[in-house]
Amino acid sequence: MDLARRGDEDAFAALVRTHQDQLYRVALRMTGNPSDAQDVVQETFLQAWQHLPGFRGESGFSTWVTRILINRCHNARRAQDPVVPLSEQDESAAGMPRSPGAETLAMTAQSRDAVRRALLELPLEQRAPLVLTTFAGYTHAETGRILGISEGTAKVRAHRARRALATLLEDWR
Amino acid sequence: MSNPATTRDERLPCGAHSADLLAQVVDGAAPRDPEHQAHCPHCRATLAYLTELWAPVLDVAAEDVRAPAGLLQAVMSEVRVLARAGWSAVLREEGGQTRIAARVVGAVARLAAESVPSVSLALGGGRIATTDVGLAGDRVVVDVQIAVDFGVSVHRVAQQVRDRIAAHLHAQTGLTTTEVNVVVVDVRLPPGTA
Repeated sequence: MDLARRGDEDAFAALVRTHQDQLYRVALRMTGNPSDAQDVVQETFLQAWQHLPGFRGESGFSTWVTRILINRCHNARRAQDPVVPLSEQDESAAGMPRSPGAETLAMTAQSRDAVRRALLELPLEQRAPLVLTTFAGYTHAETGRILGISEGTAKVRAHRARRALATLLEDWR
Repeated sequence: MSNPATTRDERLPCGAHSADLLAQVVDGAAPRDPEHQAHCPHCRATLAYLTELWAPVLDVAAEDVRAPAGLLQAVMSEVRVLARAGWSAVLREEGGQTRIAARVVGAVARLAAESVPSVSLALGGGRIATTDVGLAGDRVVVDVQIAVDFGVSVHRVAQQVRDRIAAHLHAQTGLTTTEVNVVVVDVRLPPGTA
């Protein structure tokens, strides 16, 4: 970390390697789109590189860089646009083989796509704590530190968001 | 078969609240009355329904999401461009010169802006540091984007940001700030507001 802060590119590359999957996971659920997610993560790392000399290490690097990522999602507002998320795997209903169990697989794919669409319906204030806790595995305390709110507030917001997501999924059935 | 009210706070015929059962499924909350639940058909049916409703969420959460293969390379190639650009301020002093990288100046400016009350966010807007900080010799021009808390005087906060950045840069780097352009890009509810 000290080496990266002093401008060592190899040390920074090691940080990118360590954190890129987790950041991409958060970005993908926040934006609903692999291309936007990649852009946001890339911009986040560049911003981290620029501001690393001022990073005081009070929070962990993961917390700090995830906060930058969430702020970029807020700033971009791209996530609020009505977009249809791209199917991330080759399991979309359209391309299903006609074989036993294909219908079940298609329904599973549709259900997952419904979850991705429902996530994008949530306002960012709800989506961020939901993505961080349910989809990225952060604790409520970590989520609070990332979002600059208390652990209790993070817990309340995540719970409200889960309830809102469940209601959307139920309404769409 | 759907029950359109199950995720809202409905009372089941047995008196249990569907919201409690929902919290049990989506938050992993403990059952309020495990013994009742074990024997109550209404609770068991509702739990089964909600578990099925929530299953695809758990499926998506469990997906093995990895960053695209070229991401690391893309990031590092832009980092190298930044590093090669090598923009820095130069202070000529007795016995030699001090060079201060633009990204250091940008970081000091950002932290100074963030230290102003009611400024909840202060991030450079562009991908590249040189669009945020201009350097020539010991002169600095800073462009900074901020978000302010709802209800405060925006122009007063902007002026505070301007003053604070110039003061911090002078104190910490010895550079002279000739211009600080503040762009207010967002207004937020103060942190901690539920």
